[in-house]
Amino acid sequence: MRETVHQAGRATAQLMKGAGLALVSYLYIALLLFTAVATAIVVGAGVLPETVLLLRRMAGFKRRQVGAWSGKPVAEAYAPLTGELFERVRAATRDPSTYRDLRWLFAHFGYGLVLAYVSLIVWSVGLFVDGVWCGLLKRPAVVLPLLSRLADLDASWSTVLLTPSPEARRSAELAERVEELTVTRAGAVAAHGAELRRIERDLHDGAQARLVALSMRVGLAKRAYDKDPDAARKLLDDAQNQAEEALTELRHVVRGIHPPILTDRGLVGAVRALAASSGLDVAVDADGVEGEDLPRAPAAVEAAAYFVIAEALTNAAKHSGSQRARVELIRTAGRLRIVVRDEGQGGAETPAAAPGGGMGGSGLLGMRRRAAALDGTMEVSSPVGGPTVIEVELPCAW
Amino acid sequence: MRVVIAEDNALLREGMVLLLTSAGHEVVAVAGSGPEVLPALLEHRPDVAVLDVRMPPGFRDEGLRAALAARKEIPDLPVLVLSQYVEETYAAELLGGGASGVGYLLKDRVGRVDEFLDALERVAAGGTALDPEVVTELMTRRRDDPLDSLTPREREVLHLMAEGRDNATIAKTLVVSDRAVSKHIGNVFAKLSLPPSDSGHRRVLAVLAYLNKG
Repeated sequence: MRETVHQAGRATAQLMKGAGLALVSYLYIALLLFTAVATAIVVGAGVLPETVLLLRRMAGFKRRQVGAWSGKPVAEAYAPLTGELFERVRAATRDPSTYRDLRWLFAHFGYGLVLAYVSLIVWSVGLFVDGVWCGLLKRPAVVLPLLSRLADLDASWSTVLLTPSPEARRSAELAERVEELTVTRAGAVAAHGAELRRIERDLHDGAQARLVALSMRVGLAKRAYDKDPDAARKLLDDAQNQAEEALTELRHVVRGIHPPILTDRGLVGAVRALAASSGLDVAVDADGVEGEDLPRAPAAVEAAAYFVIAEALTNAAKHSGSQRARVELIRTAGRLRIVVRDEGQGGAETPAAAPGGGMGGSGLLGMRRRAAALDGTMEVSSPVGGPTVIEVELPCAW
Repeated sequence: MRVVIAEDNALLREGMVLLLTSAGHEVVAVAGSGPEVLPALLEHRPDVAVLDVRMPPGFRDEGLRAALAARKEIPDLPVLVLSQYVEETYAAELLGGGASGVGYLLKDRVGRVDEFLDALERVAAGGTALDPEVVTELMTRRRDDPLDSLTPREREVLHLMAEGRDNATIAKTLVVSDRAVSKHIGNVFAKLSLPPSDSGHRRVLAVLAYLNKG
């Protein structure tokens, strides 16, 4: 009996919360009418997205309630409301979930109150009947358990009304994806800008400055040519050194932008060259990535793949303690997958493994940034004891 | 010497012709693109060919491919390959067919006229000229091996040997006596467990084979 009353109490609490929500939604409907009128005369457009957000919160509250009661979570799918006011208004009014939620709201205003009202009747009947039935005749309660059925009814109606349609779910997923892409694109544009500034600075402070100095020395040598041939020779020596240093710097800058071997040999050839010069015994598996009749990956993707593999192999050689590594390049529809695996001691992501910010520090971070800039992903698995496996996926329009 | 030049950049081509003729060499043919190289070499059979790696039509590694093809057609044709940047893989490919009469240098080195002409003559005579940058790459990538047991001086000597220099040049560069150089070379060979080898080209081959082994 005690258990039955307890259960009935829970069910009633559930129904009363529903009734409370229904009463709140009464206020909300009033607000909605106000917003509708205000929006109709334009000035109220500003509160429209907030009104929809409020609706979402109420629906969300009900979803959690129902989920907690039935043990089956109710799915949720909303278009994000971001951007300029106009965009938010448009997203709010176009989102099919808005109308679904409204339908629920009106329906629930009815069934939420009715069920709560019924539950009160059940209680008054139940206390008398079950009190007599169980208390005197020692039979199991029959009326009070009906309260749980009422709560079940509330849960199943709400679930049906609140579960988003498949289209809504799909469009919400798409909207989320667009959101994500907007963020990564902004990141890529920022990374690109930073890269351009770095190159500009490198050229400006390096090669350009050296060429100015060189030109000055040649000019001085010309002046000294007749009067002081020894000094002129010394100046020319200096000038030549400056020229060579400028060339060395230019080579570094060029390598940092787009390694020339990528142009010469393509990604696979360049990766094989990396493997050969890594100091490790590296197996390169790149079947079907490049070929006569296969289009090449975009230059940005090739460069990112190259830098990521170069970094991974350098790390493997420096920190892993392994003598061997394996690089896999896999071409899939719309993606280039890179897997670099060593046979070392792992622990790459623990900072302690990398004094001086090697593997756990800037190296991995830089690789992640390169992947993220192209909307790619990077996963590192490096348990202590090894091996370290780095997997990078780059979107790639082949 | 009779020289064939393959270089697509007019500025550098003119400079190279000027440099070689002023040094008393004869430029018998000039190729401006990849496909022109092999016919020019077959026709003129020069004492040495100077080739740029990147050339039209593809601007990839046409010059290098032409050099490898030419050495198949004319075994031991001395080729000096120049490039805006050096790549260990290319060095390995060039040396793969035998290091006699092979040179691989950064274009920058042309500016050191005397050293460049020296390298050119060394290659023409069947020797080797490997860019210091390539040698550095070869030497730094090896780990946990007998290279670590070399003294700094011995490393310098090994470096210069790998570039293809002879004893006299090594002695002059390091400002030591010929005897000292011979002693260092003996030590290097002993520490790397290479069979002792007289001066000359076999020694360069042994050193490069060792470094290239990876």
